[in-house]
Amino acid sequence: MADPPLRITDLAFAFPGADWSLSVPVLSLAAGEHALLVGGSGRGKSTLLQLVAGLRDASAGSVEVAGVRISALRGAARDEARGRRIGMIFQTFNLLHGFSAAENVLAALMFSELPAAEHGARAEALLGRLGIPDPDADVDRLSVGQQQRVAVARALAARPALVLADEPTASLDPANAAAAMDLIQEACRADGAALLCTSHDPSLRSRFARTESIDPFIKGGTS
Amino acid sequence: MSARTLTDWQIVVRSLRARPLSTWVTVGMVATSVALLLVLLGMRSSARSAFDRGSGNMHLLVSSDPSPLVAVLNGIFYANPPANPITWAKYQQIRGSFPWQWAIPTQQGDSYRGYPTMASTRDFLEKFEPVAGEPWKLATGRAFKRPFEIVLGAAAARGTGLAVGQQVFLTHGSGQSREGADDHAGHVHTEYPFTVVGILEPTGSAHDRAILIDLESSWILHAFDRREREGSHAKVTAADLTEADRLVTGILLRLPTRAGSEASAAMQQQFDTLRRDTSIVVAQPAQQIERLFAIVANVDGLFIGMAVVVLVSSAVSTMLALYNSMAARSRQIAVLRVLGASEGRVFGLVLTESLLIAMAGGAAGIVLALVGGMAASAWLRAAVGLVIDPSLDPRSSVIVLGGTIALGALAGVLPAWRAYKVPVADSLRPAA
Repeated sequence: MADPPLRITDLAFAFPGADWSLSVPVLSLAAGEHALLVGGSGRGKSTLLQLVAGLRDASAGSVEVAGVRISALRGAARDEARGRRIGMIFQTFNLLHGFSAAENVLAALMFSELPAAEHGARAEALLGRLGIPDPDADVDRLSVGQQQRVAVARALAARPALVLADEPTASLDPANAAAAMDLIQEACRADGAALLCTSHDPSLRSRFARTESIDPFIKGGTS
Repeated sequence: MSARTLTDWQIVVRSLRARPLSTWVTVGMVATSVALLLVLLGMRSSARSAFDRGSGNMHLLVSSDPSPLVAVLNGIFYANPPANPITWAKYQQIRGSFPWQWAIPTQQGDSYRGYPTMASTRDFLEKFEPVAGEPWKLATGRAFKRPFEIVLGAAAARGTGLAVGQQVFLTHGSGQSREGADDHAGHVHTEYPFTVVGILEPTGSAHDRAILIDLESSWILHAFDRREREGSHAKVTAADLTEADRLVTGILLRLPTRAGSEASAAMQQQFDTLRRDTSIVVAQPAQQIERLFAIVANVDGLFIGMAVVVLVSSAVSTMLALYNSMAARSRQIAVLRVLGASEGRVFGLVLTESLLIAMAGGAAGIVLALVGGMAASAWLRAAVGLVIDPSLDPRSSVIVLGGTIALGALAGVLPAWRAYKVPVADSLRPAA
């Protein structure tokens, strides 16, 4: 059986001096599965995604992404594993300013396993599929909706097993939030990527077959 | 789509282009300091060779100046007219003391519009070479054959605007006025007009500023002056000259040499022999120029030191410009880290930016030094007749460029370290 895109086991984390900690006994996603992680603002959803991506170090436990124990890796090896196995989408997109839409996607492909000769075609195909009319346009000249499409294309560029979307609709009105989620979920489905999406918006629950709450994973603090 | 792949190099160039003002100002600072250092280093060796010109193919210079260095400054670089004369009898004694290849008497003291005269025999034009291996060449006209004829050095001709066939009156004394200015500071020898008969091609030596006349004419001028002071106003001719009038201020000596060689085995011995005569001063021009450079070496070192300080300052500016940009770029660096760039790779990207600034500045500095050197060389040649080679010494250029790149690398370490330590998770938070 293939390794699941995400398997968390006995994960523990606490910020120094904080009165709450994160403790995840088990959490896993099946291939292509989409899950919503809900919870109030500041409840640790983003922190959990950062732990999964290896951007923070857990005090205990393990995070395994597509068969690779990210939590056990250090330095460049962890960065390489993240670049190849995980795509990330942020609330504010975090695009590379001063670069074109294509270059933003190509930036993700720089660190992927895909041969360099395929980078251009991959970026062009993704941006075309997501409706970016001019891949060479500077991202700063694109509309907010187009910027989000570029961010989604970049997250999927390296054909990751897992996409982490951190509050992707937090700054959008309901109509645009629905459109954004359609885009993200369709793009992940098309690429066969599992999706772990965080949101404090309960209206998104209906879009996901599986919803997890952050609350059982939080110890201490004001619950 | 134009871009098929994205490389580290493109990211570096894009980052620099995103801050055009900061990048160009920093590159400009590096370029200016590199050019300054290269020009100073180049000028040092070029000035040395320029000063080496002028003593030409003479081996020894005899005068009655206070010291050998003053003899060289006066006799070769026309700093001042020598104050103390040597008698014709002394000249003949020295000429007869050794089988010299030639012994050329000279007399300085007069001028025309600030340009010094050099009175001598035709040997000065025919045997003495102002630059060893490069004899005088006439640009126009001919050498002086008769008394009261003038041959102009190239800079003197250009400065005075005189042409062949024109007549002039020389002024007694020199150094009273600027070159080229109408000179009323000294006594003008209006009784004896001189005719310009030739103009020399530039030699790149101080002799280009000279007005060459024959020795007998100079004696007649000064004999007339002396008699006038004694109350006589009668015109003096060559037949009237006495031993008191036949004075020289310098003797250029060349020892016999083997064909194709500038050195003479008897040089040191003859030098020592002449030095025993306390009524004269004898100088080996090359040795005195060496002394002159030893004297100015400290000032020279100061200039080089200042240029190095400017270069280091430009490296500090590069460091500050990059370091300060890191605050604004922490999100971009964090995004690259999320996409898979390692800490080492972002360190390398920022270090490459610094190196690129140093390399661009270094290359621009070399071009600037070449252009500036050519401009300075053209000006020096036109203004003072000093020939400075504007080409850069390859060894110095490689050392300066290598040093600049090394400084660039050093300047990039701190900003690169700051990029290395960017807290990725915290830098990706939405702006408040």
